[in-house]
Amino acid sequence: MPVQLELDDIQGTVLRNRPMPYFGAYLLFRIDDAKQARTLLRRLLPYVTSAADWDRPVEDAWINVVLTFEGLRRLGLSETILAEFPVEFRQGMAARKVFLGDVGASDPEHWDMPHGANGFHVGLLVMAASDELRQQKLAVGHEALAGLGGVKLVGRVDVGVPPNLREHFGFADGISRPYIEGQGGAPLPGQGEPAKAGEFVLGYVNELGVVATGPGPEALWRNGTYLAIRKIHQDVAAFRKYLRDNADSPAGQEFVAAKMMGRWRSGCPLALAPEADDPELGRDSRRNNDFAYYGEDPDGRRTPVGSHIRRVNPRDALKESLTDARLHRLLRRGSSYGPMLPEGVLEDDGQDRGIILALVNANPGRQFEFVQSQWINDGDFVSEGSRTDPIAGRRDHSADYAFPARPVRRRLAGLLDFAVTRGGEHVFLPGIGGLRWLAGGGDLQT
Amino acid sequence: MTNILPLEERLAMAQTMTDQPDGPGKRIGKRGELTMIGNVVPGGAELFRKRLPQFQAEAAYWEGRVGTVQSLRILLFDNDTRFVLSLLYDGDFKPYLVDIATQAAPWLDALADGVLEGYPGITSPKAGEWVISLLHPTEFSYAAHPDVSVRDLTRMKKLSAAVSDLLDAAG
Repeated sequence: MPVQLELDDIQGTVLRNRPMPYFGAYLLFRIDDAKQARTLLRRLLPYVTSAADWDRPVEDAWINVVLTFEGLRRLGLSETILAEFPVEFRQGMAARKVFLGDVGASDPEHWDMPHGANGFHVGLLVMAASDELRQQKLAVGHEALAGLGGVKLVGRVDVGVPPNLREHFGFADGISRPYIEGQGGAPLPGQGEPAKAGEFVLGYVNELGVVATGPGPEALWRNGTYLAIRKIHQDVAAFRKYLRDNADSPAGQEFVAAKMMGRWRSGCPLALAPEADDPELGRDSRRNNDFAYYGEDPDGRRTPVGSHIRRVNPRDALKESLTDARLHRLLRRGSSYGPMLPEGVLEDDGQDRGIILALVNANPGRQFEFVQSQWINDGDFVSEGSRTDPIAGRRDHSADYAFPARPVRRRLAGLLDFAVTRGGEHVFLPGIGGLRWLAGGGDLQT
Repeated sequence: MTNILPLEERLAMAQTMTDQPDGPGKRIGKRGELTMIGNVVPGGAELFRKRLPQFQAEAAYWEGRVGTVQSLRILLFDNDTRFVLSLLYDGDFKPYLVDIATQAAPWLDALADGVLEGYPGITSPKAGEWVISLLHPTEFSYAAHPDVSVRDLTRMKKLSAAVSDLLDAAG
């Protein structure tokens, strides 16, 4: 029996790929008045975009609503239900900094985006194919807030693709994603067996063979999920200088960058083009993700075992190990913020730029937190000791990176904090029915 | 006794025991430990000993599959009414519990069902809770190589054997 996803009840962010180019915004609000917050939800409900027409959207723009644990508490959700939420969501990301490796420059004391413990209670995610459409969606939010002094804007991050259509380090982005059972269409080559819908949406069977559920009544959690939101500042100048200092030619710099990422900056995978970039392959969605590791590249001679893409998505590489990679998958929604550092510039201009990640997962502990703590910020799973992700990893445990090369393996030392956490939170993205339940009172106590 | 280093040099080799960053237990470096103490169900000891030879015989296969357990011991005491399960393993425990359940369930269940009081089955959503409820914090722990995982050891053995073969061939 094929899985039927209730697309008209799932918020669009879960299943929709962002347009390209894109114009978006993350708006974060503090709730000081429960009734007014529920009024806001009621007013927004008609405008919240579902995944129903995600394949062919009527308008290429959407608005979605998320809540932090503290936000749900302030809405008045009963303590009985609150206590049943996953511990990671209840504690909030800032409280989990040691486990997640948010230390040093990434410590929450330096974050500039509010989290659940300091004012982020409800959030609006806006994504659009044009600035005009973004403004229209923002106007909806603005009108919904009219007269609601008890809900205050505490943070806003505008996102949009840099002029070169790449993320700030220069890599083509958003290439690999799981194909979800019931999403329709056919998987692209390399997407493999469809992922069980319950890995990404509550109310469906997950990879453990059980229905993923949430706390309290089904009306609250059905078709909902969690997002791990991360604001990552990218030190582009440091990254460029590091490449320059570790290669003797522009081509050499591209090679080092590719070995750190696992793909050339065009998006072309090292697995299929180990010696030289093939930008055409990088653009071809039927080829650029069609590879595996276990049989073809067990030792990482093409795609190093410690490279970024092989860490965050090991595909079949861990087949003989303890880890079942299917239990630790993420659906990654990434969007850039801040101005591009002009090509060739090697000095930091003091501007804040980076990426906002919204990682969709129905089980924050088993998915986002596992990937962050075990795969990005540790190396034991690939026999790399305490080595971490050369692009996104913490540096206090290890700051070097090694990959096979001829005649002997190459070791890069002195990795810097190229990616620094500037904000993060686990948020609940209810189904549209769940939002209605929350807006209408449900179990709310005030 | 002779040749014992002065105190300050002995202390320079000190290992520090820390808490697991998420979940129960202590660790030295990245080598974690767990000690569970619980009750054996009435008549369970007999069942346990009957199953033990098979469990012991299959241990290398299943633990090899899990690939992160450095040592594991189980003993019965108090006239076979209670048990101790103690292990030393690589890395974090809680994040991997679900993987252990999917990898080694047939082996663990075949020993523990009907023997360990309250055992919910390792694939049960309650398994983590059950483990945690029986944990006793360790007071002291030592690991010979806090920076070397089981996986590292396997790789090093392979490398060492290859070098040995090479030298033999050259000789």
